[in-house]
Amino acid sequence: MQKIFNLACGSFYALGAYVGVSAVSWYTSAGGPAALFVLPLALAGLAVGAIGFVVERGLLRFVYDRDEAFQLLLTFAVVLMMEDAIRLTWGTSPQSTSALYLTYGQVRVLGATAPVYNLIVIAASLVIALLIGGLLTRTTFGRIIRAAADNREMVEALGVDLRRVYARVFTLGTALGTLGGALVIPATAAMSEMGIELIVEAFAVVVIGGLGSMRGAFVGALVVGVLRAIAISVYPELEMLLIYFIVIAVLVLRPRGLFGGAAA
Amino acid sequence: MTARLVLGAAVVGVALAPLVAPTYHVLLMLPFMAYAVVLLGLNLLFGYAGLLSFGHALFIGIGAYAGAFLTGPLKVRSLEVILLAAGGLGALVAAPVAALCVRYVKIYFGMLTLAFGMVFYTFVLKFYRLTGGDEGLPFLRPALLGWSLEAMPKTDYLVGPYYYYSLAVLSVAALCMWRIVHSPFGLCLKTIRDNPAKAESLGIDVTRYRWLAFMLSAVYAAVGGALLGPPTGNVDPTLLYWTHSGNIVFMTLLGGFASFFGPVLGAFVFIYLQNWVMSVVPYWRLVFGAILAAIVIFAPGGLMGLAARRRRPMRVSGA
Amino acid sequence: MILRAEGLRKFYGKFCALDGVSLGVGAGEFVSIIGPNGAGKSTLINILTGVLRPSAGRVSFRGRDVGGIGPARLARLGMARSFQLVQIFPELTVLDTLQAAVVARLGRGTRLFASLARDRDVHAEALEVAELFGLGARRGVPARQLPQGDKKLLDVAAAFALRPHIILLDEPTSGVSTSDKTAIMEILVAASRRIGLQAIIQVEHDMDIVFAYSDRIIALHQGKVLADAPPAAIQADQRLIDTVIGRRVPSR
Repeated sequence: MQKIFNLACGSFYALGAYVGVSAVSWYTSAGGPAALFVLPLALAGLAVGAIGFVVERGLLRFVYDRDEAFQLLLTFAVVLMMEDAIRLTWGTSPQSTSALYLTYGQVRVLGATAPVYNLIVIAASLVIALLIGGLLTRTTFGRIIRAAADNREMVEALGVDLRRVYARVFTLGTALGTLGGALVIPATAAMSEMGIELIVEAFAVVVIGGLGSMRGAFVGALVVGVLRAIAISVYPELEMLLIYFIVIAVLVLRPRGLFGGAAA
Repeated sequence: MTARLVLGAAVVGVALAPLVAPTYHVLLMLPFMAYAVVLLGLNLLFGYAGLLSFGHALFIGIGAYAGAFLTGPLKVRSLEVILLAAGGLGALVAAPVAALCVRYVKIYFGMLTLAFGMVFYTFVLKFYRLTGGDEGLPFLRPALLGWSLEAMPKTDYLVGPYYYYSLAVLSVAALCMWRIVHSPFGLCLKTIRDNPAKAESLGIDVTRYRWLAFMLSAVYAAVGGALLGPPTGNVDPTLLYWTHSGNIVFMTLLGGFASFFGPVLGAFVFIYLQNWVMSVVPYWRLVFGAILAAIVIFAPGGLMGLAARRRRPMRVSGA
Repeated sequence: MILRAEGLRKFYGKFCALDGVSLGVGAGEFVSIIGPNGAGKSTLINILTGVLRPSAGRVSFRGRDVGGIGPARLARLGMARSFQLVQIFPELTVLDTLQAAVVARLGRGTRLFASLARDRDVHAEALEVAELFGLGARRGVPARQLPQGDKKLLDVAAAFALRPHIILLDEPTSGVSTSDKTAIMEILVAASRRIGLQAIIQVEHDMDIVFAYSDRIIALHQGKVLADAPPAAIQADQRLIDTVIGRRVPSR
């Protein structure tokens, strides 16, 4: 939307995961009922999204009018800093919330066993996707965002303070990233590398779906997820390779992604 | 004139370093010289053609793995052959990659190069039998100009013959690149960087020139990558990882992409600063991230840009 | 005929920007294209210079079909252009800008290891064009530091440095003060004689300039050719002038 390709989104994701772990372990040691652990988890994930505001105000806003290369490099600087900041705070060993996510039990879906928690996360992401879609298409704020992506000068000429819009959009994006990291954590362990790994995957998702298209990002995520699952069961060596080949194919054939807008 | 004096002093300093500097610091010069070769090429693409690649670690990796394969399974020890093969293989891989990438500019170009880099990274990581997976491959000691030098202690070999060999390669590479950027071709690249539409209207085939610049930069990166192998005696997939691509772009920016020797200076400062910071605190990325952010925001011209900014007022007052 | 266009149509979606435009330009002609904003002048220029591909119709240049072959190849065939919004290479000096054009014309751009500084042909030819356009004294100045009028001249000079057969000037005097306009036009005409240019096509709004320099005027209106006649014939038709320069047509 802001036409910023954020290399740091993976780092935000990792940060959300770590904060999620900390929040949950604090919550259990404080004696909270196990069934409600999702609440502190989600809240922590959202709260730490405030880092996005800091990064946007503190760094990114200085380079909006410069070459995109500099924006890319600035987000790379954030990647470097965040990786060590996480190591400094949580150490190098992986952190996890143990088997807490099994508190919700398991169900059989389509002949396979799945933890209920995973289903909750899937439902939550659907809800979030719908909310974002609604925000973008139904509210004034959403219309301003979409207009700004099209024509910055025009929107500014209409008297909209784009700096505030950008700060909000970036913070919102960051919060979604950290929330995602926090929600995924009960099913896996937080590692400092997870952010750097994710960025490449997120990149695949966004490219396949089309830059700046929410519907595209969702479909892209689905494509990547399904393909990985298929590849793992058929020929594990090809798992990520396959994804990259699709990314390259999409970039070459449809540089705006499957759902990207028409050529300008 | 001052610039020539500084350059001359720098070359003499580098040439004398093994005789006067502590061995530890001399050893650090080896990766510096290898990266300097890489960056001369990368900056042809970024500083002169205006294309920022986030995937050049790919070609470093190709050069390094080519060397490991040649010295190991293929039993070729001559470093001259290794460097030629690395450059050739780099060009071979770059030809189709460049053809696809140069159709796009700006952020799309960066993303596409990143994707290609990660394809090769994954390939190297997953095809364990061929590449040794995450452990990598040994890079056996290469012979220099036909001398085997097997019997020499490793440190003596590295600070002696190998050091001067690297210096010679860097000098030749710098000389060639100097000619390239001052050739008619170099001028055409600058027109494309400044204004592709106008360049096109003058009959300059923008895509073709970008492709050529990409090819040259890939060959430089592969040769530099091959030089990285012998000092550690090992190559591994982190050489191909996208953060490595990020680091070399960082070096370029640190030194200053607008000047010919800026990236070389950047590599030097990066390597010694990284070493020093790591000896003080284990969190070098935190410090370097902050430095990178500061450069991007306050001094996009890098160290060379800062030096030029300081020189200019003096000239005015002197006139 | 050096340049001939037949039945050009261009659609942007459903909008028809050009609706069957035909024209020809012969040796020795100075042709001006006039018309109100939105008449299709920019689209026409972009098709003639190979930037856009026409939806229908053909363009031939020196007997060769050149529809949509791209500006670079067209330039090498001998058609040069300048731009309405001045296009320069901000970081390059005046001399380097012109040298780049000469290098491109001589096909020396892929000489990777040759020294540009020692290429006497390129240097001499670039300097000659710089002098021709009165930019000789500023040859070492980066283009971004030039005053607006000189930027405009440099844009045009780079096109002349290609020694083309024909040149298309997209509003050569726009953004320039009235007093400088005639000076620019005089330089242009002198330079075109010097390099043996066969024809000039210009898009221009300033009717004084158009009437003073054109051999023939083509008036565009709503994507169609409204008139194609010598200046005297156009000048005589007040109603036509009102239409093409966008004045309200008095309804009688």
